[in-house]
Amino acid sequence: MEKVMRNRLAYAILVIPALTLYITFYVAPLFSSLRYSVTSWNGINEAAFTGLDNFIGAFRDEKFLVSLKNNIYFVLFSVFVQIPFILFVSIVISGARRFLDFYKTTVFLPSVLSTAIVSIVWKFIYHPDAGLINQILRAVGLESWAIGWLGDERFAFLAILFANAWQWTGFYVVLVLAAIFGIPREMQEAAEIDGAVGWRKARYLTIPLIRPVILVTMLLSITGAMKALDIVLIMTAGGPFGSSEVMATYMYKQAYSMSKFGYANAISIIIFLFTCVLTLIFHLLTRRSEEEV
Amino acid sequence: MRRIQAVRHLVLLPYILVVLYPLYFVLISSFKGNSEIVLKPWNLPEKIDFFNYVNALSNNNIGRYFFNSLYVTTVSTTAGILLSLGIAFAVTRMRFPQLSRLVYGVLLLSLLIPPVSLLIPLYIMIKDFGLYNTPMALIVPYTAFGIPISVFIIAAFLKSIPRELEEAGIVDGLSVYGLLGRIVFPLTTPTLVTVFILNFMGHWNEYIMANLFLSSQSLRTLPVAVVSFMDKFNMNYGALCASVVISSAPVIAVYAILQRKIIEGVAAGSLKG
Repeated sequence: MEKVMRNRLAYAILVIPALTLYITFYVAPLFSSLRYSVTSWNGINEAAFTGLDNFIGAFRDEKFLVSLKNNIYFVLFSVFVQIPFILFVSIVISGARRFLDFYKTTVFLPSVLSTAIVSIVWKFIYHPDAGLINQILRAVGLESWAIGWLGDERFAFLAILFANAWQWTGFYVVLVLAAIFGIPREMQEAAEIDGAVGWRKARYLTIPLIRPVILVTMLLSITGAMKALDIVLIMTAGGPFGSSEVMATYMYKQAYSMSKFGYANAISIIIFLFTCVLTLIFHLLTRRSEEEV
Repeated sequence: MRRIQAVRHLVLLPYILVVLYPLYFVLISSFKGNSEIVLKPWNLPEKIDFFNYVNALSNNNIGRYFFNSLYVTTVSTTAGILLSLGIAFAVTRMRFPQLSRLVYGVLLLSLLIPPVSLLIPLYIMIKDFGLYNTPMALIVPYTAFGIPISVFIIAAFLKSIPRELEEAGIVDGLSVYGLLGRIVFPLTTPTLVTVFILNFMGHWNEYIMANLFLSSQSLRTLPVAVVSFMDKFNMNYGALCASVVISSAPVIAVYAILQRKIIEGVAAGSLKG
């Protein structure tokens, strides 16, 4: 028994291929990015070491700063607008006696679509002439409000945030619902006998008990906000005038349109560090509040 | 109580409309010409005419892109699952606790690294390895990117199998591989199916790498192809909607059939990972 499960060769055969592939294509690129980030490199000539110039340059690059600010808005929108909405919808759905399966299936539907498809669908919906939004505005007599949403500096990024929320809200609702239905029946009944119904029940029973899943949802939506690339690229390509640029699209353009691979890699590293810092802050904050409880 | 129930459905109605109406709008528009889309946006199509679909299918090689997506996705999903099952089994069941903790720790790093920040170095690597503009340029990274989450889900399941099962197998003279193939694999099949679906959908929908790591039109996958129609059909909204419908129909069909498994898998994957 012990002998079979201590077979070193078998362990190596099972572990090494998967681990090698994972390290080569998932972990190693991070280090090679780090290496290129301190160089000036156009992808063809030898890379020349330039120290921290790329990083210093980034924080002096106004366009980069706009993209950084947009990523921060993205995260704030996810945490303070999307998450409360997700909790609200989940709690309302969880109490429904009928159509439960219908709700679960429907809200999840957009998140099985490709982000590329979602971007195209919403680009069509925001279209100045044929789009649904302007058709509605015209139908209710607000003709003057009908504009090209993605072509307007004030609205382009907001329009993208909305499309992204449309795609992913249901995904998180389903996660939260799974947690709510995981609460033991006895606890629910006990709370109801104590007179906790409606919002009192949500506040004092449901939300505290599903805290772990709320935290997972927040973490996933923060990292999701840092990942956003294809939706922005397809809907506006960062425009108009860079107003909807995020770090990932800016990095993408520096590499593929400008051939500034050194700078692009520095931005990759900034995205990585930014995500790490957010995750860390998040863990510190939640741990502290857990100790208080 | 009945009134509270009614309020619930009433509150949910606007949200459900916002979720479904855009999809419905694209679907009805796919049967209309431009002027009908603009002048009668709310009406059902005047007649069910597939001219937009014919246009999208005949002028554009959708069949070819469909096959490309299917090939790349199937190979990388299958390879990823087999590798993940092997490593998950070794880490959870074999007796190398310290080494296994290290391996698992390395896999956990994936939670910290946003894939977007790997895009540029990966692109350079794909070129250096000579994979650029071959199906392997997608198959290899897709396989690698699917490994961590698959291992987390499979490992969580394997931990719940009692030791007696493998002991019985070993008494019967099975080797590690026999154990894996004859006992663990059949037992894990339902979990593997879930992991398969999740990976398949993820790879099927991937856009950025597919757009960057291939240059030949003939190798394109569906999402990349449909985005390229967007530019081409700039002024033809109906044809654009038809190509959106064609490329999403398979995913929606799979979802309709397997929705329970998909939703459970997502919940399990996110909560255990």
